Amino acid sequence: MSEMLTITIDGKECTCEKGEYIYDVARRNNIPIPVLCRSDAFADHRACCRICIVEVEERGRRKVVTSCVYPVSQECAVYTKSEKILEERAVIFALLAHRAPDAKRIAEMNASMGSDGFDRLVTIDNEKCILCGLCVQACDSLGTGAISTVLRGTEKKVDTPYDRPSEFCVGCLSCANVCPTGAIEYAQTDTTRTIWNREFDLVFCEKCGNLMGTPESIQHAVGAQGEAPRVCDECRKRELADEMMQTYRYV
Amino acid sequence: MTDQEQASKISEIIEAYPADQRFALAAMQDMQHAFNYIPEEGLSALAAYLGCAEAQLYSMATFYKALSLTPKGDHIVKICNGTACHLRGAMNLATELKRNLGIDPGETTEDGTFSVELVNCLGSCALAPVMLVDGTYHNKLRVDQIPGIIESYANGEVVSAHD
Repeated sequence: MSEMLTITIDGKECTCEKGEYIYDVARRNNIPIPVLCRSDAFADHRACCRICIVEVEERGRRKVVTSCVYPVSQECAVYTKSEKILEERAVIFALLAHRAPDAKRIAEMNASMGSDGFDRLVTIDNEKCILCGLCVQACDSLGTGAISTVLRGTEKKVDTPYDRPSEFCVGCLSCANVCPTGAIEYAQTDTTRTIWNREFDLVFCEKCGNLMGTPESIQHAVGAQGEAPRVCDECRKRELADEMMQTYRYV
Repeated sequence: MTDQEQASKISEIIEAYPADQRFALAAMQDMQHAFNYIPEEGLSALAAYLGCAEAQLYSMATFYKALSLTPKGDHIVKICNGTACHLRGAMNLATELKRNLGIDPGETTEDGTFSVELVNCLGSCALAPVMLVDGTYHNKLRVDQIPGIIESYANGEVVSAHD
């Protein structure tokens, strides 16, 4: 167990371990900090959307930090709703709202922030992506590595190499599910799923008929040599339980 | 260059480096140098050798201006558009090149002889406006000098530095 510290967040005393991120401590204590690019699925965070900024006062000095990646190293006071933070967060929201005007979640968050007066900013039409890179992180962490950020500056986007269907994509939808703004589009019919310009078949559980995913994603989950399961997790558990029951019937 | 020659050249370049991801950029630069661009086969071979995702290398290759995924021309013409050159009419040079070669900066002529690029500063502001062709500086250029320079490279009178 590492060293324990007591910090105050918005006046509330919170106990935390040394090295814990401020965002995690705040959430545990039911103090909401808005975020977009943070996902519980990963240990390292993007710190890209900048919405989670808070003010930290350490040794009498105040500074603005991104709470999702700022580790608590000493006793400090954290302010999540100070005047400075609200002002700066409003600017960040305005920039994000102009970057990704079609992202519903940003529009909703922005409406509650009430950040007006940024009409001079240019709005990018039909854009939802804020380029946080969570999708790329998800794809890499799965070991598929089918997508990455391409180009740079104003042309930067997330895409597969050469803008062609990727042979490494398994159609698992991890990228689309992790995306905070719903920017990754896919289409699904009764038997097929199309994502990143590639069409996948769909596999259903042999027992209950529930959707299990694409053949590629199921095979990827068990490894190249592994035998792909024919029933879904639920049914497999039930089968196992039945088997156990049979085994211990006469005990 | 046949496919086979290209493949052996690619593996020669790649295997000169240890199989570690930090050599990705160096290997890609070497490929750029050898082929004037990074062929698709080169990118996938490098990914396999380094054990990283091809998408990651593609990301790097599209990020750095020094790397290109489409073949560049035999002669690369760089027009400096830094502050000094810009003030002394670098854009007029670009317009003259467009009139001469029919391409905008960032493009390559159809016959693959010339590529024109606009760069930010070549560090020779005293010689403005500057145009760099295959590593040779052409200083204090006037627009009317351009056709002659281009012609001398097109006719092969000047042997380019990287051949």
